[in-house]
Amino acid sequence: MSILLVEDDVELARSLSERFHEHGYLLDHVGDGDEALSAARNREYEVIVLDRMLPGLSGLDVVRTLRREGRTTPVIYLTTMGGIDDRVQGLEAGGDDYLVKPFAFVELLARVRVLARRSANAAPRLQVGSIELDLIHRTAVRSGRPIELLPQEFRLLEYLMRNAGRAVTRKMLLENVWDIHFDPHTSVVESHISRLRTRLNGGFEVDAIQTVRGVGYRLLAAN
Amino acid sequence: MPFKPSVESGTDCLRQIRVLHAEGFRFAALFAAVFLALAVVLCAAVLWIVEDAQTAALVGANDADIETIENGFRDEGIDEAVEVVRQRLGSAAPGRRRPVDVHMLIQSKDGRILAGNMAAMPPRPGRFDMPGAVSGRGMELPNQAYVFVGRDTAQIAATRARIGAAFGWILAGAILLAGLGGALLRVQLMRRVDAITRTCEGIIAGRFNERIPVRRRGDELERLSIAINEMLNRISALLDNLRQVSSDVAHDLRTPLTRLRNRLEEARLGATTAADYAAAVSRAIDDTDQVLAIFSALLRISQIEAGTRATAFAPLSLTDLLDGIVEMYRPVAEDHRHVLTARIERNVRIVGDAELLVQMFSNLVENAIRHTPDDTRIRVALEASQNAAAVASVEDDGPGIPADEHDKVLRRFYRLSGSRSEAGHGLGLALVVAIANLHQATLLLKDGKPGLCVSATFYPGENG
Repeated sequence: MSILLVEDDVELARSLSERFHEHGYLLDHVGDGDEALSAARNREYEVIVLDRMLPGLSGLDVVRTLRREGRTTPVIYLTTMGGIDDRVQGLEAGGDDYLVKPFAFVELLARVRVLARRSANAAPRLQVGSIELDLIHRTAVRSGRPIELLPQEFRLLEYLMRNAGRAVTRKMLLENVWDIHFDPHTSVVESHISRLRTRLNGGFEVDAIQTVRGVGYRLLAAN
Repeated sequence: MPFKPSVESGTDCLRQIRVLHAEGFRFAALFAAVFLALAVVLCAAVLWIVEDAQTAALVGANDADIETIENGFRDEGIDEAVEVVRQRLGSAAPGRRRPVDVHMLIQSKDGRILAGNMAAMPPRPGRFDMPGAVSGRGMELPNQAYVFVGRDTAQIAATRARIGAAFGWILAGAILLAGLGGALLRVQLMRRVDAITRTCEGIIAGRFNERIPVRRRGDELERLSIAINEMLNRISALLDNLRQVSSDVAHDLRTPLTRLRNRLEEARLGATTAADYAAAVSRAIDDTDQVLAIFSALLRISQIEAGTRATAFAPLSLTDLLDGIVEMYRPVAEDHRHVLTARIERNVRIVGDAELLVQMFSNLVENAIRHTPDDTRIRVALEASQNAAAVASVEDDGPGIPADEHDKVLRRFYRLSGSRSEAGHGLGLALVVAIANLHQATLLLKDGKPGLCVSATFYPGENG
């Protein structure tokens, strides 16, 4: 997988390069917006990791320009601008995800993986292993046995299934399932995962939801 | 941002005041000019009226004399006409005072003077002025004798001169008074503007508690002074708040940072295995996260208080929003051995910022879950009252908060005594307050007897 990192903080860029390399990813690094544009035009990257505040062309301008040119490469912003409106602005400009500095590397890695494999097609049904979701009737079935789910549990399972086999963080779940962009002080994610597990695994041998220590959760592709 | 008195704005302020100084002069001059113009117009009007009346009287008198002479001639012939002239000039009636300003003449066809006090003249009928400031009227009688009656106009000129002189004096007095009045007004104005200036200068010099003296006059300058004082009050309240928050931040960051430092120091001295180090590092990361959480909560509060978020306001269903909150926290409450119930009225809609409202009610529910003992019942309620206001509340039957601490818990960093050791940074309720304020909602803490009830009342139409 090829990633373009646009970051003017050389120290941070170096450290991110190393860590992505450790996980087997190729990472090109450029330091400003203009270079970012030419790099993105020359090569099809799978994900662009983009600092919002750059010398020259700003991160927002880079995304706007790329989208105008019809390039749909997923973009995740890295930014110190954690403001509520900043995020909206970034997504409206055509970005796909938003991560506020300082962040944990596993958080960035998980998001980059999700973005890279995100499938654009919106099928009315979703199947991972033995689990099947009917997105129109909002029903879930595992090995032919219906599973009763509350609306939020359904959304949680849907998100896990869309990213089956990949780890997703608590923060990603909060943002994508509950649309919550702050850190709750209680175990919201854990409590819901535990309910979902109970409903999903009742009478089955395999626990479909795996806890990934220090990262979050992963739905087993072969369950 | 710390308050920094700007030198540039200070000189701007002073320049403004010098302009005002000149403005006072101009004001007095304008005042005098208006007075002057008024006096001139009045003077002209009086002159015109008086002169018109005098001229009319003169013409009328001439006409009456001519008519008398003509009647005499018609009734009894030329001799009677001559007699009338003589009588009018007083020569036939000694003892009667002859009108000095009347000039009469009656002359025969061949220019011989029959009577009168004038030299013979070529006959000229109609009204006309004669040299020597005499205005009169001539007429030929049927026997071709010529009659002229005229009167001095010097009287009219004299009257005009007298009125002019009188107005001249009045004008001089008026200008003097206008100047004096203007100057007096200016001095008074300047004295009050100076008071404002002195207060401004005091503020610039750092004496933030100075205020402009206000007497109950109710004029524009006083309204300005009151507005400036209120502005200064607001600024100093903000400054106090800022000072308070800065010292709170410093204090509350010191705790986790000290803990972090201690942990790292312990690790350096005591850790020997990789596992020891790993454990120390992960604890250090937790401490760092807490510091970051404080920062992001503070940032969020200040952003909300700045009010820039109001742009994200949209109509939303408070019913759906609270349903979502209840569904989200019910498993959490169960895991904490609490009971979360709901009594939410259907179809209650308000205008607001959904993301912030979710955070507001999340904070309230989380507070109830975290700060009450096991088996506490928590109820989320929503009802629409008669005046279309929506009342949303989060209520528990836990130990509650003493009534005298209700105000304090809404402040930043305030934690109930004994709860300092618990997790949390004391910003949750401050955030709730900020979000409620942004929505112009009334936030109320009530003693639930037992427990605590926090309610927010949203009013319709105020944010739309």
